[in-house]
Amino acid sequence: MKIRYSVKGDAKYLTRWFSEPGTLKWFPMINEREVTDSVRFWTSFIEQKASWTAEIKGKPVGIAYLNIQTCEKLKHQCLLTIIVTEKARGEGIGTKLLDHLMSQAKETFGIELLHLEVYEGNPAIRLYERAGYVEYGRHPYYLKEQGEYITKILMEYK
Amino acid sequence: MINDTDYDLRWTVEVDAPYLQEWLQLSGESRWFPFTNEKELGPLLKNWIGFSRFKCSLTAVKGKKPIAIGTLFLMPYRKVAHHSIIYAIVDPEMRRQGVGSSLIKNLGHLAKTRFRLEFLHAELYDGCPGIPLLKSCGYKEVFSQEKYVKEGDRYRSRHMMEIRL
Repeated sequence: MKIRYSVKGDAKYLTRWFSEPGTLKWFPMINEREVTDSVRFWTSFIEQKASWTAEIKGKPVGIAYLNIQTCEKLKHQCLLTIIVTEKARGEGIGTKLLDHLMSQAKETFGIELLHLEVYEGNPAIRLYERAGYVEYGRHPYYLKEQGEYITKILMEYK
Repeated sequence: MINDTDYDLRWTVEVDAPYLQEWLQLSGESRWFPFTNEKELGPLLKNWIGFSRFKCSLTAVKGKKPIAIGTLFLMPYRKVAHHSIIYAIVDPEMRRQGVGSSLIKNLGHLAKTRFRLEFLHAELYDGCPGIPLLKSCGYKEVFSQEKYVKEGDRYRSRHMMEIRL
């Protein structure tokens, strides 16, 4: 597996992965229009060299990015996002992407505090816990889908 | 305490922007917001006043002069469209007279009746006078995060306050 900087051409993969039924449920988007909007937002992190793509045999299988803050007083902390295509899960790609992201956050961007948002029930919570992330808060009723509410869990690296 | 009849509430309009900018640029005000300088203030100001086109922002006016602005930052995705974050600011000369409290309550009414929102929340930094104000309006802290803000070598927490409508 190789990890490289993301390029705009990766957008089609990110769009496809977000749209996988078992993936979209863990994100705030619900349809193609919202996914397109979210992917457009992600491209700004490519320009900042704050997004990385994992590939196997030249084919992208996962993306991780840092939501770099633009305001000076918030630049020391950063929200991160990781997505791995359903077909490539359970192979340690998420762990490797997370390790890479964390070292880059510290060395390249001088980030002191890394945090993330994940929704209750998401199996990725175990990955984050193994990597040293701990829950610092919960936001109940954050997502609402078909009349059901889902709690947002907030985690940070300790 | 200013009497409710001494001022009116109307929809925010784009020409209110200079008042909003003036209040935000007053000494010390940036402590309670993400921006530090004019360059950082620009995008916040544009975003904030831009919501006025959705009729989700209220301006309190005394005579014809704006004295406070409160806005629902409506969420762009359907799964989170049942709640919204709020931003509000009162002209420093009109503070501690009940204007902010009235604005917050009216924003809640607007959120519930016009946009069918179920929750409103606000993100505030340590020491912000908005924290006791929101508490008096029924908001409760949902979570807080330490070291969210860094100014020089000093850190402050953020507090997420929320009300169920």
